[in-house]
Amino acid sequence: MKSSLFIVIVLLSGAFAGLIHGTVNFAIVEPYLDQAIGIENQNLFESGAEEDSPEFWVEYEGYRTWQKSGQILAGVILGTSVGALFGIVFALSRNALPGNNDVKKSLILAGVMWLTLYIIPFLKYPANPPTVGDGETVVLRSILYLSFIAISGISAIGFYQLSKKLKNNKKLLALVGYGVFISAVFFVMPENPDEITAPMDLVYEFRFMSVLGVTSFWASIGIILGLFWRKLSSQKEIDYS
Amino acid sequence: MYETRQINVSKSQVPKLAIIALGIIFAAGLFVVGFDQGHVFSLVYGEQAFTEMYLHELTHDMRHAAGFPCH
Repeated sequence: MKSSLFIVIVLLSGAFAGLIHGTVNFAIVEPYLDQAIGIENQNLFESGAEEDSPEFWVEYEGYRTWQKSGQILAGVILGTSVGALFGIVFALSRNALPGNNDVKKSLILAGVMWLTLYIIPFLKYPANPPTVGDGETVVLRSILYLSFIAISGISAIGFYQLSKKLKNNKKLLALVGYGVFISAVFFVMPENPDEITAPMDLVYEFRFMSVLGVTSFWASIGIILGLFWRKLSSQKEIDYS
Repeated sequence: MYETRQINVSKSQVPKLAIIALGIIFAAGLFVVGFDQGHVFSLVYGEQAFTEMYLHELTHDMRHAAGFPCH
């Protein structure tokens, strides 16, 4: 496959999957964001930081519209970005992935990346709606979250490389090794320092919808890139010299 | 007379340049959606961008929904 075609299908797959992610979020996550921001506004009024005035609501409607309109656009940008990473990993690992066609291989990789780069980090540092989160700790929380994702992803690659050196029935040991290692990291890394003051029902429901949204992305990119690849890659990858 | 021909099954022949290009897109997109607090627009608008935070506000809802730390 030509480099340019490779880049184009990777970016298109990411953008489409991101569009789906943004649209799903718009439908199922936005109501919880509105609810959480409503609580945030009430807190502002009660603390006297803002006044419940028509001017406040005009300004609020202005930036809420801007934020909501960004949900789908940001989905496309994030999808293209994460899709680029997915494309790199897929291209490098395709020959080694299980499955007898590109769609199955791509879906299996999407599942592995969903688990190692999203679900496991999410269990440690779950998504939170607005009203939860102290602006003072955002840098620390970003470092913790990114570090955990990087440790999980890099160690998954490391244990996979190790599995290649092990004989048939010992390959599972690498999987167990990853499980033990990431569990240790899970317990060693510091907790999210912020206290949750929002109603827990709202927080849990928001998190559930958030997981559904991100899962829709990984499922979509697995299917879309696999289909593109199957359609456009040359059937014979054999060099004659 | 025999003709000999060597056949090499190609392993992953992923061009490095394509990987670098995709790597840059990955890092830039992730920063814009997940972490920008006015940094990108500050290249053009200066300090004011850190107050306005247009990109932060535009990506705010996705930031929360995708699990990035916010606020």
